[in-house]
This record gives sequence, structure tokens and C-alpha cells, in this order.
Amino acid sequence: MSDSRVPLTQPPAAGSLPGPSVSDAAAIEDRALLDRAQVGDVEAFESLVERHKDRLFGLALRMTRSEADAAEVVQDTFLAAYQNLKRFRGEAAFGSWVHRIAANNALMRLRHQRVVEAATEELLAPEFTERGSLAEVPEVDWSRRADEKVLDEELGRAIRQGTDALPEGYREVFLLKDVEGMSYEEIAEMMGISVPAVKSRLHRARLALREKIDAFYKEV
Amino acid sequence: MFNCKESIHSLLEYVEGELSESQALELQEHLQACPPCVDFMKTYRATPQLARRALVNEMPSELVSKLKAFLRTKIPPK
Repeated sequence: MSDSRVPLTQPPAAGSLPGPSVSDAAAIEDRALLDRAQVGDVEAFESLVERHKDRLFGLALRMTRSEADAAEVVQDTFLAAYQNLKRFRGEAAFGSWVHRIAANNALMRLRHQRVVEAATEELLAPEFTERGSLAEVPEVDWSRRADEKVLDEELGRAIRQGTDALPEGYREVFLLKDVEGMSYEEIAEMMGISVPAVKSRLHRARLALREKIDAFYKEV
Repeated sequence: MFNCKESIHSLLEYVEGELSESQALELQEHLQACPPCVDFMKTYRATPQLARRALVNEMPSELVSKLKAFLRTKIPPK
């Protein structure tokens, strides 16, 4: 266990768990490509596809848990983006725009599947004694691993499995907030639930994934 | 002062600075006296950071080829 006698007098600043940021240079390049694509330059649009396909695929894959579904989400997303290019006024970054389209596509696909597939997964959570104390004391403080340059491959696999094991409704919230960096309000609107419900699901998803990572470190 | 359960229940709002002043104080008092909860909080905060790094995917080349072929059928060159 780490030295826990660090004074903790101030809560961390709001938004201390931001999603991935797009560099200014990348956003400027996207903007230039978008301007060309909007006047019919197909090569410019293809460049945008090339620049964003991997992150869109990653989001779709983790949401749908199926490569085939994820590939279709990416296809439908880029087609929808192309068909609506002229209506896109550039108030948001191109990347944010296509990620929202992809998230909506993946959510629609999941809603359809949910009719036939009942969620069977359970959420892991810390256990407490009757007096409300942690039943199991964390053995390892692995928080610093988040800053290491290279992520351990086995840890990465455990996290991917842990994310995939999150129940429907929780996994999407976790991915959209903690991986994509969307706002609570955007997620609530997309998923048709309240902001407090988004926060509750996010908290429980983080706790569950934290338990998975903790279990990984206990095993090594 | 909060116990462990109440503290962990409030972690999301705490790390985002959304707890009321009095609740944040109760949680901080608990953290000062409970090293396991400090470790818990650190790992709770590290979880999304690790996930962002672990969930990076490259689209497999055969799917990229399919994507490009699909878009070519829908978007004819001008």
C-alpha cells in the first residue's frame, strides 16, 4: 500500500477526468480538409475517414462488442457524415461530430439487440462490513500505472475484458463519458435517461472496472 | 464524518468537485483517517485513465479495405 498520509484538503478540480483531447493542429487540419470536402473534394473526405476510422472503430467495437457490428457502425457513420457534410457548420470539431453519429448508431444497434438479448452480467462493487468499513483493504496502489509510458499488454487485455463485461447501459455510459469525454447532458440526451442516472451508472461502472483491475494486480 | 461506504458512494461527485462544502469536509476527514480509502480513491481516479489507454484500437486492414470499397460505391469520384 502506498503512503496514504498525503493531506487531502482540497477536492480535485471539476472535470479532472477529461476524455481524450484533439490537438489544435489536428483540429485545424481537420477543418481544412472539411472545407475542401464540403465543396466536393472526395479525396479530402477520404483523408478525414483515414484520420478518424481507428478511433471510431474502437468506440463502436467496445460498445457493440462485435467487429462485424462495429465495422457497419463505422461505414454508416461515415456515409451519414458525407451525406450531411454541407449541413455541418463546423461549430464542433469534425471528430466530435462523427463520434456522436457513431455513438448514436451503436446505441440504436444495441437497443435493437436488447429486445432479444437480456443482460446477464452483474456489476462488481466493493464490499463493506456492517459498520460501513471496506471489507477488503486494497493491497496494491496501482494508480501510478496510469502514468507509465507503456501499458502492460496483459493489463490492457484485462481492462478490455472488464469493459466488455460491464452490463448494457453501464458500458455505454462509461465509454461515452470516460473514454470519449462527452458531457453528462449529451449522454443523457443520447440514451434517453436523466443526468443523475448517467452519473449513477458511470460511478457503478468505474467501481466495477476498478474491481477488475484490482483483481488483476492481486493475481500478478 | 463519513464511513468508507459513504465516502466511496460519494467519490464521483468528490473527484468532480460537485459535493457540497460540508459533505466534502466529511469525506476529507474520513480520508485523513482511512489510508485504505485514500488508496481506493487513487485507483478509482486512475481507472478511466487506464481504460482510455487500453481501449485504443486499430481498425483491422481487411475491414479498412471493406470500408473504403463501401464508401467508393456510395461516393462516386467527381
